[in-house]
Amino acid sequence: MLNPNLFPFLLGLAAFLFTVGATGVLIRRNPIVVFMCIELMLNAANVALVAYGRFLNSEEGQIFAFMVIVVAAAEVVVGLALITQIFRLGRELDVDDLSEMKD
Amino acid sequence: MTVLFAVVIALAAVSSLGVVLSRQTIYSALSLVVTVAMLAVLFLLLNAQFLFAVQLIIYAGAVMVLFVFIVALLSPDAEDRPRLDARAVIGVTGVVLVTVLVFVAARNGITYSTNGFHAVGVGSSSNPYHTFSFPPDAVNAAGNVQTVAGQLFTNYLLPFEITSMLLLVAAIGAVYLTRRARS
Repeated sequence: MLNPNLFPFLLGLAAFLFTVGATGVLIRRNPIVVFMCIELMLNAANVALVAYGRFLNSEEGQIFAFMVIVVAAAEVVVGLALITQIFRLGRELDVDDLSEMKD
Repeated sequence: MTVLFAVVIALAAVSSLGVVLSRQTIYSALSLVVTVAMLAVLFLLLNAQFLFAVQLIIYAGAVMVLFVFIVALLSPDAEDRPRLDARAVIGVTGVVLVTVLVFVAARNGITYSTNGFHAVGVGSSSNPYHTFSFPPDAVNAAGNVQTVAGQLFTNYLLPFEITSMLLLVAAIGAVYLTRRARS
C-alpha cells in the first residue's frame, strides 16, 4: 500500500527539480548545460504528472508524461544541432555572447 | 518502500544540484544521467512501468548519449564557478521559496482519504474536483502497458499522431541545420 503522505514529497521533488533547472538556465553560460537544465525542468513536470496520475488512480498522467518525453527528445535534437552549427561558425559557446540572430 | 522512496528522492535532488554546480560540462551530463535514472526508478515505484522503460530507453539511452557525444565533439572549456550575482541570488531564493511553498500547500491544502491500495480522494473533501473513471486497481489488474496503450490509441490518438509529425519535423530540422554549407 502506497502511503498518501508521500504525495507532498513527490510534488516537493518536482518543484525542487524545476526550480533548480530554472536557476541553471539563469546562471550557467554554456548552452549545452542550459539545455541539460531544460531537460531537468521537463523531467520535473513528468514527476508531477506521474505522481498525480498515481494518486488520482488514472493513467492519463502517464500519457501526458509520455508526450512530454517525446517533445523533450525533439527539442534536444534541434537544440544540439543549433549548438554544433554555432560551434562550426567559430563562435565561442557562451549564451551571453549569442544575443544576436545575425553575425 | 518508504525508505526506497526517500533514497531515490534524495539522490535525484542531489544529482540535480550536480547538473547546475559542476564546472566541467561532462560532469553535468553524468549528473543528469543519475537524475534521469533515479526518476525512472521513481516511475517504477509509482506503478508506471511503461514510463520507466521509456525513460530509460529515450532519456538515459538516446538523449544522454547525444549530450555526451556533443560534449565530446565540442569539448567546451571548464566554466568558472557561477558567481553569486543577482541572477544566482534570485535562483537560490526561488528554489527554496517554491519548493517549500509547494510542499506546504500539498501537505496542508489537500485532504487525503485512502481506500485500499490507492488514495482515491485527492482534493478538498467538500469540493472534490475529480471524478474517477477507473475503478481502483483497474490499472494493476489489466497491466500498465495495456491500459496506457488502450488510452493512447483510443482517446489520445490525435495527440499521439501529432507527436509523430513533431518527431518527423525535428528530424528534418536537425538534418537541415547540420548540413554542410554549399560553397
